[in-house]
Amino acid sequence: MNHSNCHPDKKFAVVNPSKICQPMGAVQALLGVKDTMPLVHGSQGCSTYMRFQLTRHFREPIEVASTSLSEKTVIYGGEFNLMKALKNITEKQTPRMIAVASSCLTETIGDDMAGIVEKFKDANLDQDLPVIIPVSTPSYTESHVEGYNRTIKALVEHLAIKSVSNDKINIITGIISPADVTQVKDILKTLKCNSIILTDTSENLDGPLTEETLSLYESGTSVEEIEDTANSLGTVTLSKHVNSAGVFLEKKFKVNSIAGPLPAGLENTDEFIKNLCLLGDYEIPKSLEKDRGRLLDAMVDAHSYNYHRKVAIFGDPDFVSGMTRFTAEMGMIPSVVCTGTKSKIFNEDMDCISREKEISPVILAGGDLYDMHQAIKERGADILIGNSYGASMAQEENIPLFRVGFPIFDRLGAQRISTLGYQGGIEFVDRITNTILDFYYDEAGYEIIEQKTKEEVEKTKKSQYSTMEEI
Amino acid sequence: MEPVIETFESRKKHMCVKGEGLSIPVCDKASMPGTVTQRTCVYGGARIVLMPITDSIHLVHGPIGCAACTWDIRGSKSSREDLYKKGCSTDLQEKDIIFGGEKKLFETVLELNRLFNPGAIFVYATCVAGVIGDDIKAVCKKAQKITGCRVIPVQSEGFQDHNKTKGHWIGGDALLDYVIGTREPEKTTPFDINIVGEFNVAGDLWGIKPLLEEMGVNIISTMSGDSHVEEIAQAHRAKLNIVQCQKSSNYVAQKMKKKYGMPFLKVNFFGLDQTVNSLREIADFFDDEEMIQCTEKIIEKGLDEVQDKIQDYKERLTGKKVALYVGGNKAWSLVRAFEELGMDVMMSGTKNGIREDYERIKETVRDGTIIVDDANSTELVRLLKKYQPDLLISGAKEKYISLKLGIPFCDFNHDRISAFAGFKGFVSFAKEVDASVSSPVFNLTSTSLYDISNNLNSEKNLKTEKSSDEALSPPSGGDKHES
Repeated sequence: MNHSNCHPDKKFAVVNPSKICQPMGAVQALLGVKDTMPLVHGSQGCSTYMRFQLTRHFREPIEVASTSLSEKTVIYGGEFNLMKALKNITEKQTPRMIAVASSCLTETIGDDMAGIVEKFKDANLDQDLPVIIPVSTPSYTESHVEGYNRTIKALVEHLAIKSVSNDKINIITGIISPADVTQVKDILKTLKCNSIILTDTSENLDGPLTEETLSLYESGTSVEEIEDTANSLGTVTLSKHVNSAGVFLEKKFKVNSIAGPLPAGLENTDEFIKNLCLLGDYEIPKSLEKDRGRLLDAMVDAHSYNYHRKVAIFGDPDFVSGMTRFTAEMGMIPSVVCTGTKSKIFNEDMDCISREKEISPVILAGGDLYDMHQAIKERGADILIGNSYGASMAQEENIPLFRVGFPIFDRLGAQRISTLGYQGGIEFVDRITNTILDFYYDEAGYEIIEQKTKEEVEKTKKSQYSTMEEI
Repeated sequence: MEPVIETFESRKKHMCVKGEGLSIPVCDKASMPGTVTQRTCVYGGARIVLMPITDSIHLVHGPIGCAACTWDIRGSKSSREDLYKKGCSTDLQEKDIIFGGEKKLFETVLELNRLFNPGAIFVYATCVAGVIGDDIKAVCKKAQKITGCRVIPVQSEGFQDHNKTKGHWIGGDALLDYVIGTREPEKTTPFDINIVGEFNVAGDLWGIKPLLEEMGVNIISTMSGDSHVEEIAQAHRAKLNIVQCQKSSNYVAQKMKKKYGMPFLKVNFFGLDQTVNSLREIADFFDDEEMIQCTEKIIEKGLDEVQDKIQDYKERLTGKKVALYVGGNKAWSLVRAFEELGMDVMMSGTKNGIREDYERIKETVRDGTIIVDDANSTELVRLLKKYQPDLLISGAKEKYISLKLGIPFCDFNHDRISAFAGFKGFVSFAKEVDASVSSPVFNLTSTSLYDISNNLNSEKNLKTEKSSDEALSPPSGGDKHES
């Protein structure tokens, strides 16, 4: 296997990162919770730049409050600001829940967030307070994936209560697009599987044009649903990296837990359905078999265009391993795969997929886009799969970028991109094959044999990448 | 006096109406904890001032988030390198927090220099780098000695202030302390200038530069749009600084005046009048007959070209109301430009304004204009709902708040897509404003299916009424009378 963390040229610097910090993951998890205010305990930049990225990806208003720390805090601690923030939110926004994520600053100065929250509750015993949940998300360890993991765990840790058993399955989605949450929910519906989605961003981050979307989220997972997770039949986590909540529920409440894989492609979706059936007694309806058949049909229809096309993939670890398996199923050759998050699980996953599919991609776990670019130069790629930050790399290599993941700010519709389940798989197969057709075939769909002239290459580049109007 | 909108008691005086009472809102105070503030941090302020220097590596010394969220967000265009677009970080880890990050920073600088051979490496301090006490200055000094590349410390710990304006100053200080005055130009002319506070967002600089060059002015450096470090190093030999973004860059001009005796002019290339005035002021400053005559010709030609092209837009836009809620400079510099399109600025506000900024706004806007300071997102929603402007001018975070309310929006911040400066820029400006304000989609935003079903019901009722009326009414011919 070709595992490495980075290119041999470069040992220390991160150049063009493929990961973000823990508080960003925390906020992404909280955007799927109903009637909740996320609060980041740190400098204003932490919440503001995060909102900037989230807003331009989802093209929705994103509300994240800040404790607005300044110099005094570093000396005296952030207690005053946090107490004040909890008070202000409680009084003016009246949410059902406030979730507080820490930042590198407050972790380093040693603010005891849980203690401060208790103090706030004690000081306001006479009041009807929202549920307040602190999450420790230091930005200098791990990545946004771990921030998401810790937040989902904190939610169930604080809220789950054993009462009457229900017939539900807890689904921890990981960081996936709102459209993919819908795909997962559709499968559950088809199976007649009742579920609790942790957390459900499908409506909150793909809202209609109405001013109601400007206040706290009316949709998403409710506090009551999170409480009820202790009584479910089981938990299926779609990402192996965000499994802490599942493990916690299993240990404390004996709710069986299965982690992964991300249902990307045929085999992984099969496995997801198998996992659901292991936990509950579901009958597979004909319609689901039909959907599966349609995905197979799409794959067969597309095979001659994408067979042996080299593909390079970057993003979150479970997304990358899911996409690697899927593209290999389609007959493509994953040549370079990269995740910014360091992960042993990812390496094991990739080893397994490589053996099974007889592929040998360069595997970068904890790499950045500079490392990835060097590897693409060495190994070659016909198409790049990843977020908008791959645009310049694709342009330089003169290959198309298939945009999926986070963030996508230079094209519309990021919230509506779906790749998961059989239906999402069909969309993926169609779209990626059409991208290949657009790039490598002429207008009638015949392969372009002659070398593209320089002008043609320039033209393609321009139509692909120019987002700003030239003057 | 009645408060502008309902909000926290302590926030009420942050909003006022010009002409009623004080006319300048309370400002330059820390944001309230727990609100969704539109403000950012000192690090962000410093970075956006320096980020457009195209031949430099901008290295963020901190955990990954600070670099990952601010990488290539400026929208500044380059005619040359694109090194400035890279997102570089020391990616501090837990052990660096405990044992210090200086060694890692040093190695990272060396490595980046080897990989990219940049004009300079700017090293930004973040919150956590400040708290653990890394001596960034010392590391930069040592690294510069070894590499021979300019390694410039930027002491921009995010928590330093509630206001990113301090970050702008810190960014300016980095240039003043380590770059400006460190290289002599090969040749000088009597008409040498620097353009300060122009960041070439969407290519604005390219609307200004040709006008100045045609006048006969020689541009030594731009700070910092589409610039090279070695050009800025020669800036001390200019005869004049012209300052476009007065929010971020008056500071640099003032300091250069003190240090080098270099005078400065506040200019504004947004809008026709302002462009004309700015060009004339520069020509007047040099007091050169040839230049003055040439400038008049440029102005005549520029205005001629624009007038025909904006008539259509102007007709559609006249009488429409604009609300500005921006980072700073644009809160006053855009007012006249909108008035030239026949529009009425009914609200102006900034996120990080200091008293001086609000005085500029007050001077510029007419009586009755609402002036707001540091409105958080809840307040912004209330302002928009209560005063219903036909257009909001702001940045990405506010965009979808406005659109969800069915209020047209233009991004005049980092995500702006066309250049607005100078004569040609004014046409793009009019075009883009028109594209938002006059788009027919906003006629549809307040409709709903319920309206249709209600209409359907009333139509049905009308029909039944009508048919029952018909049934009751006497047949024509006045039979009833007869019977």
